[in-house]
Parts: sequence; C-alpha cells; structure tokens
Amino acid sequence: MHDITLMQGIALTIMAIIVGVDFWLEGLFIFRPIIVSTLTGIILGDLQTGLIAGGLTELAFAGLTPAGGTQPPNPILAGVMTVVIAYTTGIDAKTAIGLALPFSFLMQYIILFYYSSFSLFMAKADRYAEEANTKGLVRLNILTTSIVAVTYGVVVFLSTYVAQDLMRALVTSMPAWLTHGFEIAGGILPAVGFGMLLKVMLKGQYVPYLIVGFLIASFIPFSNVLPAALAGTAFALYEYYTSRDKAAPAQKMAVEGDDYSEGI
Amino acid sequence: MITVKESKKVLTKRDITKLGLISSFLQASFNYERMQAGGFTAAQLPFLKKIYKDDKKGLSEAMKDNLEFINTHPNFVGFLMGLLLSLEEGREDRSLIKGLKVALFGPLAGIGDAIFWFTILPIVAGISASFAEQGSILGPILFFSVYLTIFILRIVWTHLGYNLGVRAIEKIKTGSQTISRAATILGVTVIGALIASYVHITVLSAIPINPEHTVSLQKDFFDKIFPNILPMAYTLLMFYFLKKRRVNPTVLIVATFIFAVLMSFLGVL
Repeated sequence: MHDITLMQGIALTIMAIIVGVDFWLEGLFIFRPIIVSTLTGIILGDLQTGLIAGGLTELAFAGLTPAGGTQPPNPILAGVMTVVIAYTTGIDAKTAIGLALPFSFLMQYIILFYYSSFSLFMAKADRYAEEANTKGLVRLNILTTSIVAVTYGVVVFLSTYVAQDLMRALVTSMPAWLTHGFEIAGGILPAVGFGMLLKVMLKGQYVPYLIVGFLIASFIPFSNVLPAALAGTAFALYEYYTSRDKAAPAQKMAVEGDDYSEGI
Repeated sequence: MITVKESKKVLTKRDITKLGLISSFLQASFNYERMQAGGFTAAQLPFLKKIYKDDKKGLSEAMKDNLEFINTHPNFVGFLMGLLLSLEEGREDRSLIKGLKVALFGPLAGIGDAIFWFTILPIVAGISASFAEQGSILGPILFFSVYLTIFILRIVWTHLGYNLGVRAIEKIKTGSQTISRAATILGVTVIGALIASYVHITVLSAIPINPEHTVSLQKDFFDKIFPNILPMAYTLLMFYFLKKRRVNPTVLIVATFIFAVLMSFLGVL
C-alpha cells in the first residue's frame, strides 16, 4: 500500500490531459492502456506494476473500439486507475481492472455527453462559414478540444489524488470471494471485446480463419499471437491475389465463352 | 474529362506535408450532428485561404461545403483532403468536389476501420501486451513505434491523394473491397488466436467419483477434450448477444462481472 503525493497527482493530471487530447483526435495512440499504464507506473515510481497492468488492461480493451460510431468504455481511465488502485491498495493488477471499470464508464458517459452537446456549436460554425471567418472556426475547434482536455485533467486528479483513501477503505473491506470474482472477471472480460470485433467482422465465409487462428494458439506453445498473425497474413495475401486475378479476366470471359462450351 | 490545370498550382510540397500533419485535427469538434465536419474544415483552412486569397465568396462556399456531415477515418483523411484540395486548386465545379467527398469518405472509413481497428490493433496489442505482462518495457516501446510509424504515414497518404487527384477514385472503388476482405481475413485469424490466448476461464469444481478420487473438471475434462473451449464458447455467446440480440456492450461487461462474482461466491470458477 502506497500514498500518491500531490506532485504525483499533478503529474498524472498533466499526463491525462495529453493522452486525453490524443484519444480525442486519435493521433499517436498513446491513449491506449498499454502506454497510459506504463506512464502511470513511471510517475508512481512502480514501472513493473504499470507494465503488468498495461498488458492486462490493453487486452481487456483490445476489442472495445470506437469503430462504427460507438463510444467504448474509456481506455485512459481504465489504464490509469488499474495501476493506481493496484499501487495504493496493494491488490493484484488482475483484480484492479475490475475496480477501475466504474471510472472507465464515467469517462465514457462524459465523452458521450460532449458528442451530443458539441452539436450546439455547429450553428456557430455555419455562421463563420457564411462570413468566411476562418479564425473563428479554428478557435471553435480549439475550444472544444480544450474542454475535453480540461475534463480529463479534472477527472483524473479527483480519481487518483483526492479519492485514494476512500478507494483504499473500500478495497480493504471487500471479502475474498468478491476480490476473486473481480479477478475472474478480468480474465473473461476480453471475451466481450473480441465478441465486438467479431460482430463487425465475422461472416460465414470467415469462420474457417477464426477456427485456424484458434487452433494455432491452442496447440502451438508460443508466448504471443505471432504464429497466428503470420498464418493470417498468408491467407490474406492468397485472398488478395486470387480475387485480383479473378477481377482482371472477368472481361475476357465473354470472348472465351465458346471454348468452355466446346469442353462440355 | 477533368484535368487539374497546372497554371493554377499555388500549393507547394511543404504545404501538403503540413496538411498531412494538420489533418490530425479531424475530430477536434466531433459531435453527433456533423461528426468530424468542424475539424475537417479547420484542417484545410490554411490551404483554402491560400487558394482563394481575396475571393471571400469562394472561400465561404468552400467552408460551407466542408462543414456538411462527414465521418471518415483519421488515418486516411489526409488522402481525401489532399485530393479535394487538388480540385479546389483547379477551381473545379463545387458540386463535383462535394460529390467526390461524399462518395469517398465512407469507403475510406471502411478500409481504415478494417485495417487499423480490426487488424493492426489486435495484432500489435496482442504481441506487445504479452511482453508487458511479463514486465518487459519492450511491450509499450514496440506498441509506440508501430503507431508512430502509422502516424507518419499520414503525410504519405496526403501526398498520394493530392498527386493522384481524380485519378484516385477508380483505384479506391476497385481496390477497397479486395483490401478490406484480405485485412478482415488476417484480423479474424488473429482474433481466433487472441481468444485462445487471452480469455481465461478456469473451472475449479471437481466431481467426487469415490472417497479417494475426484475428477477435476478443468484438468481432467476440458483440458483433455479441448483446451480453451470455454473461452471460445463465452466469446461466441457475447458475439451472439451483440449481433443477434443487439445488446449494448456495456450491459455485457456488467453482466460478465455479476457472473464472475457469482461464480466466485459459489466456488465454481
């Protein structure tokens, strides 16, 4: 069990503002838990916890993507709070993921609120366009991004520095079956993310590839998914070249039609 | 036939490089009404201003068109911006520029999502997280290097879009489906592997056969018949709820927690 100092709280706040803007703009992807947790670990002087929590949280969030207009539980708050909770309460990172989730949900809903309410700015943007007021339009975009940035800073400062005693009291009063339950949930959680990826990607014709990838990882003892990724690359290249070749001679088909009928 | 008139070129190579970087502001004022329109317009403004100079009316028209609904992929938007600015530079018809924008942002979003969210992220996350979990700093470093490279490529796509101009449209239309399909195949294969590697369900329950012997459900049953069958089953269950029942993912996350805590309480998992 450790305390977060005011300086560390401020450092976390600054980090949250930077990665928060990155998440908003989808720029360098330093908003992913693997980076956020590592940075949090460095700030708290416990890199090991940061790395382990980062790896676990990243996977739990791998499938929870914003593609297709949905807003997933917030990866930044999950990345920060998993490390912070493990660090301040002394519990396992696996268990901490579960306790970090409410913070992740909170930020998700704040972002959703902004997505809706920022629509109000659009009337103003239309007026700037009418007047060819370029400075106004740029200012408007900076304003919206700043609102998001400040929100990240405030939420992370309150969740980390201000709420740490409360958090500790809560975790230490939890019975063993509940902490174990959170640990189990952390292990199953990636299934929801992968289910979401499959929802968008999986069609009948792709099922064989899912099975092959699953078989490779189940029966080849290797520390990561690289063998399956290479097999997948082979399938992808095969598909790319065959469908490209199929598209090219399609025009010839009409001419060659006679040859086929002779064969039959 | 549309041709970009060389004599009207006012944008330099440097400008296009800058455009590639500024294209990152695409989502600066994201909202549900116009999606990325605000940032999309703002990113192009320095160059629209250069093209239209004192023509206030022309600039205003261009701004109005760009402020209409758009939702595309941040990594590829530079390509679209480059292409559209090459047309603006040639003072092509406004309806043509707008038409191309509307025709292209969707396919670009589709390819972008297939490649970046559904293929690269699971692979890079899967590999770098396995390093990080073992306490190796190589994990985050690898992750960051890959995404830094992807970010820098924004400049390349932007030049490509600007140089190809309208000729690009045919290429995107014929190529996008093939590329998306190939990327999806790679992605689905990796997800199969990720399910086996990173979803953990271990059954603690044991069935007593006689006073000396108990059969552990996990070790003697599931692991012998098919390892990882439970993670796959649970993932497919989630898939079923998301796809067929249209359940909100947040509901499934909460349900998974309740399930896990209940199973822990009963001593099953």
